[in-house]
Amino acid sequence: MTDDHAPGPLLEVHGLGVRLGGRDIVTDADLVLRRGELVAVVGPNGAGKSTIVRSAAGLTRPAAGTVLWGGRDVRSVGPRRLARLRAFVPQRPQVPQGVSVEEAVAIGRSSHIGPLSRPGAADRLAVTEALERAAALGLRDRQLTTLSGGELQRVQLAVGLAQGAPALIADEPTSALDLGATATMARLLRSLADDGLGVILVVHDLALASAIADEVVVVEAGRTVATGPPDEVLTSERLARTWRVDAALATDATGRTALHVGWLGEPSAGQDAVPAAPHLPPGPPGASHPPSTEGPPAP
Amino acid sequence: MTLRQVAVLGTSAVVLVIAALASVALGSTTIPVRDVLHALPLVGDGRVDGPTDQIVNSLRIPRTVTAILVGAALGVAGALLQGALANPLASPDVVGVTAGSGFGAMIILLAFPGSVTLVPVSALVFGLVATSLVFAVAWAGRGGGSIARLILAGIAVSAVFTAGTTALMTAFPDRVSTAIFFIAGYLSYDGWGTLRGVWFYFAFGLVAAALLIRPLDRLALGDDVAQSLGVRPRAVRLVAAGVAALLAAASAALAGLLGFLGLVVPHAVRLAGGTASHRFVVPTSAVAGAALLLVADTVARRVAAPLDLPVGPFMVVLGVPLFLWLLRKAV
Repeated sequence: MTDDHAPGPLLEVHGLGVRLGGRDIVTDADLVLRRGELVAVVGPNGAGKSTIVRSAAGLTRPAAGTVLWGGRDVRSVGPRRLARLRAFVPQRPQVPQGVSVEEAVAIGRSSHIGPLSRPGAADRLAVTEALERAAALGLRDRQLTTLSGGELQRVQLAVGLAQGAPALIADEPTSALDLGATATMARLLRSLADDGLGVILVVHDLALASAIADEVVVVEAGRTVATGPPDEVLTSERLARTWRVDAALATDATGRTALHVGWLGEPSAGQDAVPAAPHLPPGPPGASHPPSTEGPPAP
Repeated sequence: MTLRQVAVLGTSAVVLVIAALASVALGSTTIPVRDVLHALPLVGDGRVDGPTDQIVNSLRIPRTVTAILVGAALGVAGALLQGALANPLASPDVVGVTAGSGFGAMIILLAFPGSVTLVPVSALVFGLVATSLVFAVAWAGRGGGSIARLILAGIAVSAVFTAGTTALMTAFPDRVSTAIFFIAGYLSYDGWGTLRGVWFYFAFGLVAAALLIRPLDRLALGDDVAQSLGVRPRAVRLVAAGVAALLAAASAALAGLLGFLGLVVPHAVRLAGGTASHRFVVPTSAVAGAALLLVADTVARRVAAPLDLPVGPFMVVLGVPLFLWLLRKAV
């Protein structure tokens, strides 16, 4: 973690273009990630969200533009060094037979261990710490094949955390989870950002994004079309234009968020379809404002 | 390593040592273990009569060492391929090396029987040629290096070499019987000659396999996680498959086609140890593969003595019940 205290953003992406299979998937994307910040990347299916973050993480080679990690071009950063700068948590993890949770998280730590040396006490401590931060310590002796979707996603997060990088990039970690598991994951990601990590989250659930993100980046047809605080970016006009739905985000006094969708309405309606102040009951006093989604998730 | 894993590795090692002693002691004449120990190079004191010394050091020890090397190499080759391709059905067969080595041996045995000493070289060379073809197809162009493409290329290239073998057998039907031993997998009293020619490939392959253990473990959670950890998954896969092919081709040069060992031993080791960690599976597959082949060869020599039967079928007969028993016990 040599660059932990370097000034400036962790990650800067400018004018990114990515070609896959002879097609331009991403044509012009900008993205900035700072320490302690949670950036939600949102957009319709096929817009290029995953491609942008994969390329930013150095998993896919950019065709145009720049990706800078700590001010250095990603193409000039060696793979081992890059492993110390960011961790990537994939959308669909491979679940091998005969691998325990602890072994899996130890694999996440392996970038810190030389090719011929063995894991030491510090490495074992890092594995335990990663499990604890991902609320997966109780699962450590289980086999990966026996985990539920939510448990597996937390273990996957622990694998990323064990890398000990200042930035974490998670590609749709909540897509296959139920409401409770989604809320757990949301709290975890927010607390990681509050602890100083830079977190990029690709997510479809706009109510969730608006509750936990410091900044939202909207991707449409391979381009980033809007960036800023959730309430400024995720307006009804934006939802109508990018997702072609008549919908509005609402936040109640306790911080609970909801996406109100006119499911059967005309996609062009936009502004005045939803009451400005929805009538949501207040949450229990003293609850640590768990972000939860009300109503059906965004498509 | 857990106690269970230590027990599996320890049991394999004990079986290997006992089988090695039995392999040297038993044959057409039985040599008492005491005399075997006296006659051993380096550790023995040489207090045995000339013929015994001759049998032990010129015939049986080379054969025993060959069995250990081939068993270990095929066990490791299977473990590398199953790990690299994340596919439980992977074995040296899938990268074309078995079909290539078979064809290489058949050319000499059937078309040029006068040059029978060239069988090992030809098996090695054609095994590696077949694998190179598979790799060239599988890694070329866009999307190269994917597991599906590698396996399909392996099947296609294997089919070509198998067809070549069939063509040779059709062309020289009267000589096919001489090729049966190679196809079934065999060990013989060849002395150190062939071993001297190929030991380097085994040494290189086994050392490379040890260095591949950690990169392969990092592939276990998928290519994305591997890349996140700074590993190039396709490069690891290419190197691991190449090392496995080298070990399998060198094994074919010494002992014919024993590919079954490479498929079954790593599975048995994983089931018995309860883990897929390569730190356990790779070395234990080496020890268990060597032990299985040695036991099978000792049986193959005794069953119809003084007739020396090919080891391959005996290895299957011994290995499959053990494997099926482990498979039944696994969750």
